[in-house]
Amino acid sequence: MGLIAIGAAIAVLTGAGAGVGIGIATAKATESIARQPEAKGDIRTALLLGCALAEATAIYGFVIAILIIGKA
Amino acid sequence: MDNLLEELQSKTAFTIPILGGIPVADSCVVTWIIMAVIVLLSIIFTRKLKKVPTGSQCILEGIIDWLDNFFLGILGQKGKKYLPFLETLIIYIAFANLIGLFGFVPPTKDVNVTAALAGVAIIAVQLSFIIEKGPLKWLKSLLNPINLLDLVTRPLSLCMRLFGNVLGAFVVMELIKTGLCAIGVPVIASAYFDIFDGLLQAYVFVFLTSLYMAEAIEEE
Repeated sequence: MGLIAIGAAIAVLTGAGAGVGIGIATAKATESIARQPEAKGDIRTALLLGCALAEATAIYGFVIAILIIGKA
Repeated sequence: MDNLLEELQSKTAFTIPILGGIPVADSCVVTWIIMAVIVLLSIIFTRKLKKVPTGSQCILEGIIDWLDNFFLGILGQKGKKYLPFLETLIIYIAFANLIGLFGFVPPTKDVNVTAALAGVAIIAVQLSFIIEKGPLKWLKSLLNPINLLDLVTRPLSLCMRLFGNVLGAFVVMELIKTGLCAIGVPVIASAYFDIFDGLLQAYVFVFLTSLYMAEAIEEE
């Protein structure tokens, strides 16, 4: 069970990339809302979309980890 | 932990007793239920449509208007004939993700369902290319290796994104229910994971499909 656990843990490290990416995107989004408050709606839509897409790579890591644990 | 892993597999609901028994999976039965619900809702809401809308017809027209404008904004006027397909896709995926709230197992938790949805979406994109520009141009576009690779990676990412999100929501909810506390806390977590995430993933899936379609049918 030891190596399996380490393998699954390494697989989930992809979450770090998603966290950094979404953090940067949110920073830029809040900056642009501060600069132009009328575009709030469009910026919010773009932000949500970008976050959902960036989240995908973290999800891939999660699915692989589940597969690793499941296949033992 | 083993209990959790067991629940991740898809179970057979019943077996059709012809040709040596065809197993019908859990997710298939729930999909039938969703189909019945959507058909019933469609029949109920479209009875006695009036020229000047009132009540429930107002809400319905509002939703369809919003969806129409959203997709036409991405596809342009040429995309009018693909609207029914895309709107059906988003309604089905939204229902499928949300039906976890009613005690059923969401069919999108089964990777076969999401793979089928991704396959259908990509076939629709290629078909839109062929309809707009003809089959010869489609074959010529496949000579570019990036387009060929896209044919494989795009459905894979669509499938895995939807499946991973629904599976992750399910796992977290199970852990909260069994590990933390079965009353109160799941409501907040469910509101985020089930409702928000489910709707967002349906939106992202269909938005990406329409984006690929817009790329395929645009004039150069």
